[in-house]
Amino acid sequence: MDFGFSDIQGELRALSRKILDDAVSASTLSAYDEFAAPRFDRALWHTLLESGLPGIAVAEEYGGMGLGFMELGLFIEELGRSIAPVPVLAHCVSGLLPLQRYANGELQARLLPPATRGDLLLTGDFWSGSGAPAVQAQATADGLRLAGRCPAVPFARQADWLLLPVQLADDTAVVLVPAGAPGLRLTDVQMTHFEPHAAVELDAVNVPAADIVLASGGESLVTWTRERCTAALCAQQLGAAEHAMRMAAGYTSERKQFGVPIATFQAVGHRMADCYIDIECLRLCTWQALSLLGEEQAATTEVQIAKIWAGDVGHRVSYACQHVHGGTGIDRDYPLWRYCLWLRFNEMALGSSASQAAALGRRLARGEGLFS
Amino acid sequence: MRIQFTDAQLALRDELRGYFRELMTPELRAECERDMGEGGGPLWREALARMGRDGWIGLGWPEEYGGRNLSPMEQFIFVEEVMRAGYPFPFLTTESVGPTLAEHGNAWIREEIVPRILRGELLVSIGYSEPDAGTDLAALRTTAVRDGDEWVINGQKMWTSLAHFCDYTWLAARTDPDASRKHKGISMFLVPNSDPGWSCTPVHTLGGVRTNATFYDNIRVSDAHRVGELHGGWKLITSQLNRERLSLINFGPISELFNQVVHWARAAPCAAGGVVAEQPWVQANLARSRALIECMKLIVYKQSWAMTEGTLGMADASAAKVFGSEGFIEVYRLLGEIVAESGLVRSHSPGAFEQAGRIERLYRTASIITFGGGANEIQRDIISAAGLWMPRASR
Repeated sequence: MDFGFSDIQGELRALSRKILDDAVSASTLSAYDEFAAPRFDRALWHTLLESGLPGIAVAEEYGGMGLGFMELGLFIEELGRSIAPVPVLAHCVSGLLPLQRYANGELQARLLPPATRGDLLLTGDFWSGSGAPAVQAQATADGLRLAGRCPAVPFARQADWLLLPVQLADDTAVVLVPAGAPGLRLTDVQMTHFEPHAAVELDAVNVPAADIVLASGGESLVTWTRERCTAALCAQQLGAAEHAMRMAAGYTSERKQFGVPIATFQAVGHRMADCYIDIECLRLCTWQALSLLGEEQAATTEVQIAKIWAGDVGHRVSYACQHVHGGTGIDRDYPLWRYCLWLRFNEMALGSSASQAAALGRRLARGEGLFS
Repeated sequence: MRIQFTDAQLALRDELRGYFRELMTPELRAECERDMGEGGGPLWREALARMGRDGWIGLGWPEEYGGRNLSPMEQFIFVEEVMRAGYPFPFLTTESVGPTLAEHGNAWIREEIVPRILRGELLVSIGYSEPDAGTDLAALRTTAVRDGDEWVINGQKMWTSLAHFCDYTWLAARTDPDASRKHKGISMFLVPNSDPGWSCTPVHTLGGVRTNATFYDNIRVSDAHRVGELHGGWKLITSQLNRERLSLINFGPISELFNQVVHWARAAPCAAGGVVAEQPWVQANLARSRALIECMKLIVYKQSWAMTEGTLGMADASAAKVFGSEGFIEVYRLLGEIVAESGLVRSHSPGAFEQAGRIERLYRTASIITFGGGANEIQRDIISAAGLWMPRASR
């Protein structure tokens, strides 16, 4: 039982924070408000790629750092802290990770090195819905033909390759589709937190055998990837919630009413103390999920619990921080409002607290997930 | 970062579960139930002494006190398992006052008192609160006056839980009535409850649990019974309270209770047909309880780890206390709703669920720790100041 950072984990956190602090600020983020530009800071992405951080969990033979999901999660926590405009969750969690875990050697050798370098951008359709494939597939002489619609895929317009689970008769296959494939059409979807998303429509899109990641039994890839996507959202939520809390603690310590800082009012201090406790709960549940997933251990219960906390804590911290800021908190000239958008997105994506609790409750009723 | 037990720790846990399966005889269980989960009976005493003889109580203590020199994490695993087994373990003596005595006590205390605690032969009650000194503990009025080589102690304490079967009281008394600040004039004493000047009267509480008012009438003790620096008692009180806050939040019993409720709900028929666990609202209550208890577990594990590393922070200890105490109440309510009707069936009747009555009692006793061990309002003050660096109003 070790809740401390290893030397390398500490260094990665410090490196992430340094790069992000230098590159991301309220004024750089304002460039993307209301979709004025696609929310993708390519200069920052380039800096991150040069530092090697997006390849944290990729094996060294493909050009990565050869570390694990725990380290990737700690990096994502820092991204949440700065709500950075880069496609780490889409590219690393729903692209690099499942390819490294499930693709054959040929596909890995073809895609992992350029994707780790950032020459190719990946994304995957694992961030919405129930996990059932949105796309139907039919076998052809030399591969599969796809038809269907994925309602919202992050960074689909910016990506070079899309990793898609598809329904093949009563089985699930997983395929890679290039962004320019004939028959593939993208429609931008405006999400509340401004991150680029697109609906992906596929009309008779042909996938050659070489681009099929799994021809059958793809449910395991989908479950495996969605658990990691869920834990990544929790890590992103943790960073964002903690930053919002620190902002509110700082503001209330400066803001004076009746001649004293409003932080000295017990009602204000206690509301912030409750945020502190909430965030500690989210932190521990999230780190536990990252730790278990990083070691390829069963973590369905722990991921569900982390997401329950991510939803509840995001909601409570967002409203508490807005409240103690008064009107300043909702003023778009002050940076808190963007955090509130992300806290809400992370709360709802891949299952709200209520839906996660329902899923966990069904498992408990089957006798799964009890204390050991 | 690795949030899992080592194989050796898992083996220790299994060994302890086997040990307690054997130790907790039906007779001992019945006696503990009769004593409202507080202990103090003859079988309870004998079991405690056996744990001491078998070297469990001092698992994480240095060998010089008779311990086994393992880390606070192993000590925590022991306490978790003894509580999970349903044994009312006197953790205030062993986990909070004991370590404070070992750290600050004189040679007599370290050589005579502490080893007897680890052998399960000596119990200590805590004498802090008074009728007019609760949250503002430093306002206490019990006095200790020097008379030659001795101290003469007079006063009254409130909420001296377990005192009626403890051997000593860890007592805060005013030794300097003229100190510049009221915190600075307090010293700590170890007072024998066997002294003729010591008396206690019961206070019966909502949940059926007994606590006490204790009275100190011209009790004379030698200077060897004084612990730590003269007038320096406040530091010992806060250090003991930090330890107490952690030991109050033990997740062993509640995780066991949770598992039992799940097993019951999966088998118990529901009036509307099927079994209790098939109802969506029951599943939601179970899931919410499961998520709360998981956090209690992680918070206490992190605290145990921080104690091992020597990095335990004030804000985190207070956060554990607030979250744990309020979490217990919430979980007892959620589980109580599930077993509600069954809780109205008397035990030994057909269809009775033994744990239902226990949940009902726990629900009624759980309020104690939101104010005991330092009121949660004070803990939240500590969190906003020490954890978030927010300025606080002077009091």
